[in-house]
Amino acid sequence: MDKRLGNFLGAATLVLTAVSLWMVFAWVPTEAEQGIVQRIFYFHVPLAWVAFASFAIVAVAGIFYLWLGGQIWDDLGYAAAEIGMLFCTLMMVTGSLWAKPIWGTWWTWDSRLTTSFVLWLLYGGYLIMRAMLEESEQVARFAAVVGIVAALDVPVVIVSVRLWRTIHPAVLVTRQGGHGLEDPRMVVTLLVSITAFTLMFAWLLMTRLAVLRARTRSIELAKAIAMAEFRAGRA
Amino acid sequence: MTAFVAVLSKDLRLELRSGMSTIAMVALAMLVLVVLVFALNPGVARGPEAAAGALWIALVFAGMLGASRALLAENENACIRALLMSPIDRATLFAAKLAAAAIFMMVALAAGVVLTVLFFNLNFSGALVRLAPILVLGVIGFAALATLLAAISGRARGGELLLPLLIVPLFVPALIAGVRAAGAALSGAPMATARDWIGILIAFDVLFVTAGYLLFEHVIGEE
Amino acid sequence: MLPPAVETRALGKSFGLVPVLLDVDLRVASGRAAVIIGGNGAGKSTLLAILAGVSAPSSGNALIFGQESHRLAADTRRNIAMLSHHSFLYPNLTALENLEFYASLYGVRNPHDAAYEWLTRVGLANFAGERVRRFSRGMEQRLAAARAMIAAPMLLLLDEPFGALDSAGVAIMTDLIRTELARGCAVVASAHAPMKFDGVDLDQYEIRRGRLIPLSDHAEPPRASRLRALLGRQNQ
Repeated sequence: MDKRLGNFLGAATLVLTAVSLWMVFAWVPTEAEQGIVQRIFYFHVPLAWVAFASFAIVAVAGIFYLWLGGQIWDDLGYAAAEIGMLFCTLMMVTGSLWAKPIWGTWWTWDSRLTTSFVLWLLYGGYLIMRAMLEESEQVARFAAVVGIVAALDVPVVIVSVRLWRTIHPAVLVTRQGGHGLEDPRMVVTLLVSITAFTLMFAWLLMTRLAVLRARTRSIELAKAIAMAEFRAGRA
Repeated sequence: MTAFVAVLSKDLRLELRSGMSTIAMVALAMLVLVVLVFALNPGVARGPEAAAGALWIALVFAGMLGASRALLAENENACIRALLMSPIDRATLFAAKLAAAAIFMMVALAAGVVLTVLFFNLNFSGALVRLAPILVLGVIGFAALATLLAAISGRARGGELLLPLLIVPLFVPALIAGVRAAGAALSGAPMATARDWIGILIAFDVLFVTAGYLLFEHVIGEE
Repeated sequence: MLPPAVETRALGKSFGLVPVLLDVDLRVASGRAAVIIGGNGAGKSTLLAILAGVSAPSSGNALIFGQESHRLAADTRRNIAMLSHHSFLYPNLTALENLEFYASLYGVRNPHDAAYEWLTRVGLANFAGERVRRFSRGMEQRLAAARAMIAAPMLLLLDEPFGALDSAGVAIMTDLIRTELARGCAVVASAHAPMKFDGVDLDQYEIRRGRLIPLSDHAEPPRASRLRALLGRQNQ
């Protein structure tokens, strides 16, 4: 069942990504104001959506882990954090690539880029914490707590950064990008792209989760073997 | 409630006797301010806005040093185990440790304010009265995060890196709001302009004190 | 009928892959003393940590006064005390302050008076105002004992109680244990070798490769059934 779902997701991702690429590069009309560069938007927005959604998954998985127990919740949280980090990095990279031609600098502290940077730092802290505490029996609980706290922080970050950047606008004008899609083809392209990236995320998440669950199972087996040897070696 | 008072007064008494944490925090705050003064040109780094920024930088760095010590001091003689075995609620223990950390930080920050006024060409005036509640809000939020996360970072080898790594991104909203509010207070602007920022600080504090209160039991304890 | 102070059922504890305790069935009623014998690293301290409620079992359960050990209510924790090679004392507080602190924490009425009373009982009244960091090891242990007893526990967990005591300390400790048992307190103590107490009936066990094996004059198979444990203990 898992495998079939995985294969279906993989196939669907492939198909939709191909369609999306065609749409972005060949079909959708060029935006008047920003020119060709604007097409990055069709990648950047879905990446952003997934990066934030993934964080929510990390937090919810954490809540379920603390509430119900069960290693699967921890594995889900870890997988979501890893994939989320990937998408978050790509979001920042695409944001930066977009900024350069428009504003002439590789980075600007406008509200969206700033928020995505903070998100990236939160992901990074979570992953480093997991790496440092790998041997601890309690790493799953710690990760759940950190994930929840970080997710609670995200809305406050968004609000405070937006307030900051509107009161103190950067030297460069805050981009409006993303809204005011005149042509319906742009809307369609965006929606297809969002779907494609969401499927890609789901597929990657499933795959990664399968790996982590296999690892969990092998650890359980190792424990069972150690236990059996312990029992047998001493009657 | 008695347990909260007992733990808090015990921590305050210990700190009064040795003063290690507070002295270290004051020293670090001062060093941070000194570095800023020399690193930034006098033309740039004077006045209320710069002072506000400097003060919050000092808060973050001194806070990281001191806030975790309130919790980790219990590791001596395994007193933490005695606390865990005692009837005290884990959440109450969090509240007590948070309060202790916040008090130490505020004492250190008071010294920091004095130095900031001197270094950044400000006046000892009513502005400081308006500044105080803003710093208190910042300290509470920071102490809440630090107390919660110190329990985690204390477990890791090389955990001294982990605490700042986790806290700094989490603290960003309070930092943004706090510096702007402090700047408004120090420059004599009417506090109405800083209303949104103060609102963010309050929301931040409520959020993370509550989160810490509820989640602390999951991070404290032995294997 | 009140639940026994300690009842473990097939209690197991592993650290990572390594099992330390396995299928431990232990029952200690009020007023009884159980002695757990074993070498270094046998799992004695691990077992006591589980009974204290600070370490969670990996399998099976440990019931302290009928409650799961890792989810004890505050009222139950009030009745449990531990003595180990950690002193649980704050070096920069005085002897009196240490006792007062723990007394308040445990809801003892008049913590100040209770603290003084116990300082006298362990022969440290003259050092009430001295900071613990200046205490000798023997004094520290006596104070630690006072700390444990001050809230009148009903379950006393002793991790190698006679470990580094001088003869005066041993006498005080023995006396305390006897008094507590007479009060109806249950005692679980760990040791390197079997103990002997005049006039006190001890249930001795040994931890051998993770298993708890009752030692007694009667021949007992290594894995006593729970029923036999229930009946057998009463008759010893």
